[in-house]
Amino acid sequence: MLKVESAVKLFGGFRAVDGANLHVGAGEIVAVIGPNGAGKTTLFHLLTGHLSPDSGRILFKGKEIGGLSPHVICRRGISRSFQVVSIFPRLSVFENVQIAVLSRERKTFRIFSPAAGMAKEEVDRILRSVGLFDRRDVESALLSHGDKKVLEIAVALSGNPELLILDEPTAGMAPEETERCIALIRKLSRDSGLTILFCEHDIALVFEIADRIMVMVRGATVVQGSCEEVRRNAEVQSAYLGEDGEC
Amino acid sequence: MRRWRAPFALFVVMAALVALPHVVPRFHAYVAAIVLLTALLATSLNLAIGYTGIYQFGHAVFYGVGAYGTALTLTRTGMPAPVAFLVGPLAAAVLSLAMGMICIRLSKLYFGMLQISLGSLVWAVVYRWYSFTGGDDGIHGVPVPDAISSPKASYYFTLAVTALCVFAMHRIVRSPFGKVIQGIRDNPVRAAAIGVDVKRHQLAVLVIAGFFGGVAGSLFVVVENSVFPDMMFWTFSLEVLIMCLLGGMYSFFGPFVGASAIVLLRVFASVHTQYWGLILGTILTLVIIFLPDGVLGVVTRRPRAKGEPDA
Amino acid sequence: MESVSNLFSTGTLSQILVGLSRTTILFIVSSGMSLILGVLRIPNVAHGSLYMIGAFAAWSVIQLLGGGLFAFLAAMIVAPLIVAAVGFVLERGFFSYLYEREHLMLLLLTFSFALILGDLVKIVWGPEYRSVTVPAFFQGSAEIFGLPLPWYNLFLLVVGPCIAAFLWLVINKTDLGKMARAAAVDGEMVGAVGINVGWIFAFTFVLGSFLAGLGGALIAPMVNISLGMDHSLIMETFLIVIIGGLGNMWGALLGSLIFGLTQSLGILVWPQFGIAFPYLAVVAVLVVRPRGLLSSTW
Repeated sequence: MLKVESAVKLFGGFRAVDGANLHVGAGEIVAVIGPNGAGKTTLFHLLTGHLSPDSGRILFKGKEIGGLSPHVICRRGISRSFQVVSIFPRLSVFENVQIAVLSRERKTFRIFSPAAGMAKEEVDRILRSVGLFDRRDVESALLSHGDKKVLEIAVALSGNPELLILDEPTAGMAPEETERCIALIRKLSRDSGLTILFCEHDIALVFEIADRIMVMVRGATVVQGSCEEVRRNAEVQSAYLGEDGEC
Repeated sequence: MRRWRAPFALFVVMAALVALPHVVPRFHAYVAAIVLLTALLATSLNLAIGYTGIYQFGHAVFYGVGAYGTALTLTRTGMPAPVAFLVGPLAAAVLSLAMGMICIRLSKLYFGMLQISLGSLVWAVVYRWYSFTGGDDGIHGVPVPDAISSPKASYYFTLAVTALCVFAMHRIVRSPFGKVIQGIRDNPVRAAAIGVDVKRHQLAVLVIAGFFGGVAGSLFVVVENSVFPDMMFWTFSLEVLIMCLLGGMYSFFGPFVGASAIVLLRVFASVHTQYWGLILGTILTLVIIFLPDGVLGVVTRRPRAKGEPDA
Repeated sequence: MESVSNLFSTGTLSQILVGLSRTTILFIVSSGMSLILGVLRIPNVAHGSLYMIGAFAAWSVIQLLGGGLFAFLAAMIVAPLIVAAVGFVLERGFFSYLYEREHLMLLLLTFSFALILGDLVKIVWGPEYRSVTVPAFFQGSAEIFGLPLPWYNLFLLVVGPCIAAFLWLVINKTDLGKMARAAAVDGEMVGAVGINVGWIFAFTFVLGSFLAGLGGALIAPMVNISLGMDHSLIMETFLIVIIGGLGNMWGALLGSLIFGLTQSLGILVWPQFGIAFPYLAVVAVLVVRPRGLLSSTW
């Protein structure tokens, strides 16, 4: 479904992403891991159009998407969450999801019909499925950190993506919130066959839910394979144990 | 009970406004008309700044262009009055789009600085083009149609148009478009990531805000029968911004209240002192330091946790 | 086109030189604006008022000392210092408490100061025009390539590069300047290594104000000193800073050159609307380089 071939992104002289390769098949859960500053977030920005690659190819469903604007990529079927919570803080929980649904339905240029009742059933269904229905009328800035992260996933889901990209979905969450978030990711993959690409610091968690793992060090792909393959790989062990012992 | 409070308040205000010219002296009705059209101007600016987060620093230019468009059509062409009342706002909307396309690529403050300085070029051209715009004298004695030329009639015309425009803007704010622009204000990156073409929506807002600003300018011609370049000077742009801030940029009627307060204060102050800048500057300084959410913002912000936001 | 043939007349060169000397003043004022923008991130609308105060203060100093070359030179130093003091009061008294606020609020606060300062000038100096005569030393004209150029304009042409050199030294060679530069790039970083960012901000604001005052003092002999002289200048300064790249000193210099030259040539070609040419130049620059000519600190 998604194929990245030797993608490169330079910031001045710094090679933030330097030969990343990635392959994500339909219905898979794929994780990207690597030490801090390995270029994981930068890679995700390349996939969703927030940055454009300096070279290499990014193919989604066989078509090049590198360098397109974020909103165009979203319409092709890729949604994402950000490392730092990114929601619409002054809008209610309901409205956060609602505008994402309306955007998917191309209704954002309707300027005179009232929005209040639009897409109500679908938004409520999405909120129920992520467990935020009882907070639907709360101003989203007032949510707890964990709820905000979940809301962001709900907003990303509202675009009916084929590929969902999550940048550190459990960062900063309390243990029970993390549990809930993992359960949600599993459910999404199982129930709707959604393809998920995520990166994460918690390695144990990665091995728990990912089908396949890609390891990045200094902007380049070291290895990509099943959990077993990655675990056995000597380079990965040296990268992790040798450089910052995060494993 | 609560559900009826807002419509009831609206009804009372409208009834008072309709009765006004019959109970107060003529000068007060004139002031009320100026209040109304200035409130319309501030509300239109707030679509851009409060609802979309666009730093629209040159809004008075669209007000001025709306006024000049109408005044010039009335004085220099034989076209019927309704055309003149469309020419002004449309010219403002087109100018707003053109300036927007130049500025939109720039980020917030940068956008505002460029827009206000490009606006000052429009002012300079109007100010110097004696043969066409009347230069710094402006245009006086604009032939407004008889039906709306008497003080009372011009007041009612202003009231009707303002009410209509404010109603339209209220609809816009509650539409899908209105929700999305609030999303853009809150988080443009997230908005793009859910598939919203941010720049196109921002340009649309600029056109709408410019149009309604132009309507306010046309109304000024009806009330005042004249136009002059200073109504589009950059200091007035920032004054309108102050009205929004004073009333509260995150509430729909905030700018309306802020505009009323400032216009009334200005009329009152001009009787007693020539130091309007000192007064306005002091008020503004106090508001910024103590009430950054605006006067109405303080009243309405808290209970917003539940129920409809921002409207 | 008769108007275009004006461009190739003998007057063009002297027009350019006069334009360049005006550029000096634009540069001095806008470099102050640029400094404040770069470090404090505030588009200071009151910058024009500071410039106006500089001009009025210069007039007062010259009146007090009874004219002559000495009084004039003293005014060129004392007036900017007075303005710098005003800047100090504004920064320490108000801005220093409000840096956490949105930029929009800070901009409106500077606007409120512009309103207040405008009226204070009216109260202190009255609404009449004031004028300063060029001291005898600078009267008359020099011959440049056979064309007359007033000595005072020539003086400005010398002052401009001196100020640029002075600023370069302050920013690149003094500790305060280096810290201000670092703060412009990353304020939190500077704070994190234990430098008092507050005083860097104060220093920057005072230096920026000083430059505004200096510009006002220098222009005093060339114009009618009047209320409202702040209003047109501030928009020009905004544009210059934008084309140059926000917060970039050399950008301010380049922007002033573009602005001053297109304006003086524009007036030659089309007297009535010559003022539009610098704006067209700005739009042209921004279409090609939306972030300004030189790298912006933002």
